[in-house]
Amino acid sequence: MINNTRTSHEIHATPPGDLAIWFFIFAELLAFGVFFVAYAFARAHNVELFNESQQHLNRLSGAINTLVLITSSYFMVRAVAAIKQGYSILCARWIASAIGLGFVFLAIKMAEFHEKFSAGISLSTNTFYMFYLSLTLFHFMHVILGMVILAAIMLKARNGSYSPANHTGVETGASYWHMVDLLWIILFPLVYVIR
Amino acid sequence: MDTPHEPHFIRPCTRIWLVLMALTCSTFAIGETGWSGTAVMLTVLGTAVIKVEMVANYFMGLRRTRWLWRGIVLGWLILVSGLITIAYLMTVK
Repeated sequence: MINNTRTSHEIHATPPGDLAIWFFIFAELLAFGVFFVAYAFARAHNVELFNESQQHLNRLSGAINTLVLITSSYFMVRAVAAIKQGYSILCARWIASAIGLGFVFLAIKMAEFHEKFSAGISLSTNTFYMFYLSLTLFHFMHVILGMVILAAIMLKARNGSYSPANHTGVETGASYWHMVDLLWIILFPLVYVIR
Repeated sequence: MDTPHEPHFIRPCTRIWLVLMALTCSTFAIGETGWSGTAVMLTVLGTAVIKVEMVANYFMGLRRTRWLWRGIVLGWLILVSGLITIAYLMTVK
């Protein structure tokens, strides 16, 4: 059975949130997908260079950032659950927690960038670093955009603009944030681990 | 921040969150060993594919939507991970 109400275990006709965000999400998946595949084929032509350069990445900070984004994504699941129960303030708190972890991600990533830039590494250092810096910077900007979206939703939730019957905005923001998490889940093993 | 009468999706999502954390730690551990080779690559990439499916189906809620929506994400995932695998296998002598 297909319907658009989200209070049961039934199959829904559309994904959670505003349908427009899903077209945006699919476009982002496509863009990052091309980037990931380009990285893999560039590596195929420079295996030694990629493997050697990868050794200088901070794998621990990459792994911690994965844990941070996954947890932040889970907090958005809790935010959606809270608003479905009618707890606006609780919803806003979960979103604030998700944003807080977003700041942790950015701080760790900026420390990583600082380390690389201080060592004189730039986009023109070699092909690996060109991909590493552009891929992670591209994702970094998506994290910032996600945090801005979540902040706007958090303020609306705190003002009581959402309810169990009207919470599409929260689901829309959560969907975008999950996409940011999903992309990092591929980026981390691809760039930091696989050799 | 727990509340009574949580929606039905919270418990499975909490379990998924814990599994995702564990799988991330296993990927990191593999990276720390310095192992390489086709089997290791397939294990790490396969783990990422499973994690993405978990996020899409549980966190994004696609498992309760029409197959079309899940199919788009799954199709993208198969295409991207398949091409990454082909690119990797090109380098194996």
